[in-house]
Amino acid sequence: MLRIVGGQVYDPAHGIDGVVQDVCIQDGRIVENVDAAPTIDASGMIVFPGGVDVHTHVAGGSINFARAMTPEDHRRTTAFIRSQTNRAGVGGMTPTTFATGYLYAGMGWTTVNEAAVPILSAKHTHEELRDIPIVDKSCCVLLANNEILLDLLEAGEMERAREVVAWQIWASKAYGVKAVNPGGVAAWKYGKNAEQLSEPVDGYHKVTPAKIVAGLAQIVDDLGLPHPLHLHCNNLGVPGNLTTTLETMQNLDGRRAHMAHLQYHAYGGDDWSTMRSEAPQLADYMNAHRNFTTDAGAVLFGDTVTITADGPWQHLLYKLTGRKWGNLDVENETGCGIVPYTYRPTNLVNAVQWAVGLELLLLIDDPWRVFLTTDHPNGACFWRYPEIIQLLMCRDFRRDCMAGQSDKALSRIHLPDIDREYTLYEIATITSAGPARALGLPRKGHLGVGADADVVIYDQDDDVARMFGHPRYVIKGGEIVIEDGDIRATPEGRGLLVRPPHDEQIEAFLRPLFEDYYTMSFDNYSVEMERIQQPEICDCIDTE
Amino acid sequence: MGGKVSCTLGEVKNRADFVLYWGGNPAECHPRHFTKYALMPKGRFVPRGRKDRTMVLVDIRETKSVKAADIFLQIRPGKDFEALSILRALVKGQHVDEKQVAETGLTLEQLTDLVDRMKRAKFGVMFFGMGLSMTRGKHMNSASILTLAAELNAYTKFVAMPMRGHGNVTGADVVMRWTTGYPFGVNFSRGYPRYNPGEFSTVDLLVRGDVDAALILGADPGATMPQPAIDHLARIPTVVLDPKVTHTSRLARVHITTAVTGISAPGTGYRMDEIPLPLRPALRSPYPTDEDVVRRIHQAVAEKPDWMAAGGQTTTTQI
Repeated sequence: MLRIVGGQVYDPAHGIDGVVQDVCIQDGRIVENVDAAPTIDASGMIVFPGGVDVHTHVAGGSINFARAMTPEDHRRTTAFIRSQTNRAGVGGMTPTTFATGYLYAGMGWTTVNEAAVPILSAKHTHEELRDIPIVDKSCCVLLANNEILLDLLEAGEMERAREVVAWQIWASKAYGVKAVNPGGVAAWKYGKNAEQLSEPVDGYHKVTPAKIVAGLAQIVDDLGLPHPLHLHCNNLGVPGNLTTTLETMQNLDGRRAHMAHLQYHAYGGDDWSTMRSEAPQLADYMNAHRNFTTDAGAVLFGDTVTITADGPWQHLLYKLTGRKWGNLDVENETGCGIVPYTYRPTNLVNAVQWAVGLELLLLIDDPWRVFLTTDHPNGACFWRYPEIIQLLMCRDFRRDCMAGQSDKALSRIHLPDIDREYTLYEIATITSAGPARALGLPRKGHLGVGADADVVIYDQDDDVARMFGHPRYVIKGGEIVIEDGDIRATPEGRGLLVRPPHDEQIEAFLRPLFEDYYTMSFDNYSVEMERIQQPEICDCIDTE
Repeated sequence: MGGKVSCTLGEVKNRADFVLYWGGNPAECHPRHFTKYALMPKGRFVPRGRKDRTMVLVDIRETKSVKAADIFLQIRPGKDFEALSILRALVKGQHVDEKQVAETGLTLEQLTDLVDRMKRAKFGVMFFGMGLSMTRGKHMNSASILTLAAELNAYTKFVAMPMRGHGNVTGADVVMRWTTGYPFGVNFSRGYPRYNPGEFSTVDLLVRGDVDAALILGADPGATMPQPAIDHLARIPTVVLDPKVTHTSRLARVHITTAVTGISAPGTGYRMDEIPLPLRPALRSPYPTDEDVVRRIHQAVAEKPDWMAAGGQTTTTQI
């Protein structure tokens, strides 16, 4: 039991905008009232629902590959020293699992969605998710290059494809469906890509990226998954890719989709030297089409490591930078590429990318449909979110940051003309209420009665980055986990799953395909329920 | 140089029409590798199985694996790095010195033919064993073959993979990485993980005599490590968890017999391509599992006063 007294509460889901009121907690949930509970005096402080990260890469084969590739970063970064409450680890570009939990919670984030899980190595992902303490976790399974599904789409067997998807979601113990460079990663298996939405994917006659996207979005809606199709479009990072992005969105024809890391998909120009921001055009489209949500995938200058299932893009990035290149193609399912990267303010392309992320956040007018992410660790590490909040809330700070940029760079972006400054209410929306709603998590992202008692309390501070970087208290499931910068408790987080109904007969269809295509036996493929920590099966919804 | 361009073994099964083994003897060391993954199976895009694949073996001597190869290249011992560097040059069409080629024990014709075959392949894979990674040049040899694979992607699809073995060594590597950031050779003496192969790796610590107790799990260093390291293990209190009597258990102060993982204890094994496989016990064992024993040791240690000085939970300056 706990009563938070006297804080200014920001709870966008209930329209509460900085009202001084008490928040009461009992048995891990928000309640109307509690008697004789211990109190936290939050006078002069700001109370937010716990942050929700809709798109991050924190667990599984790809981030662990990146960890192996960047020992030099682990050595120079913040280290976590073992104590009675916390485990040892390192922070940095690819924090270790335990450190990931401490860093997220330490910033006030209490729910994270791991955005890319191959079914074949989903056991590994879940083993890592177990080792991320404090925060609740969900994950999205990679399906847009799954050859069993592509074959079904080629044959026009949509109904069977739907049953297979439902089976695959439960087999991987996932929460949502992710599409990465639809068709392109499958083509990468022979060194090719898929750049045109309406051209058949390499090795197929009828299946095009457009059909994969529309088919998966339809299946996700038919199954009533609480989170729409989580979509990483074709041609990520490529100058002029705005056309592809807009075509993809038009092609969805009113179906729901979450457009992942839109910053990487909002470029004009013909090549690297003419690349420019097309954020306003994309923001206009977003503003006019309410079937979409998106996250920024914002970029901050500095060192990081890029991690994606988009194998062909990472090969291009390796050729562009000449840095280390990791690649892991996953049989019949997907790929994975890793390239360390440094975003430099003096680099024209990077300067445009930095601006585009912020422009999208500032130009998409509904904070319920655009969320704060950096596509961790691709644009920047998640623990740098407070810097982005400062950029969003302080126009003058933005101007200061642009002061050193060349006229050429400034001519390619729109940020200097944007005056909007985010309010605290809007920040609470893009960091918590909005992403929770987009994920379809009814007990997350708000402080109404019945919500999970995930609460952050910040000391009011004119230095926005400092305020958001160092919450005074973080409460997870009713327990104080962070107090004044110290880790007080490290409870286990929950694993959030969905179990869409499917025809059990589908296994009879899948089993022989496994014998032919896979090197793992069918009976070893599914993730066992025992691997999920504190599983919570969330309800599917009626999307009609 | 750096990184690793690889794939899961099913990609090899389904697509590889060019398979090269370098410094390994899979016929004897990974006996199922040919039949299950790399040579014999009929794959989705190599429907005729073995007939659709070309197999090249590079080694210093004729092993039993030679029989399975279409082409055997006998390289002079210790010349792997040189040969790989020449291949990288040939791939890029650069000039190579005949004398340097001759030093590798191979001819320019052989190497040029190899490069041609590599470039003509639709999907090429190079597996490398300890004959490459643990001989003269060591990690630089591995980096060299991995770079060759990466660079070949300018021409066709190419991947490379180490032939790992020795039980669940890949699993240990994977778990160490997510818990500490590093695959092996991790030092916790300052309360946070530090990594420095050559300084903190087991052999080096033992040979220098830096270690005053050892807990050994799933390994038999008494059979494989250099004598000074083994001598040190015999001097200090060494505790071994192993289902069987081993060289190490004989010199250990304590040997705790445990159940065999995968036969009478459950768990997860990671394949050489880092794909996890569930291990389901077929038999029951009177012995505790490794996990049980370690858990109980950990509990007993946790009851002792904490030796870490009370201080901050983090440090921004690692020393």
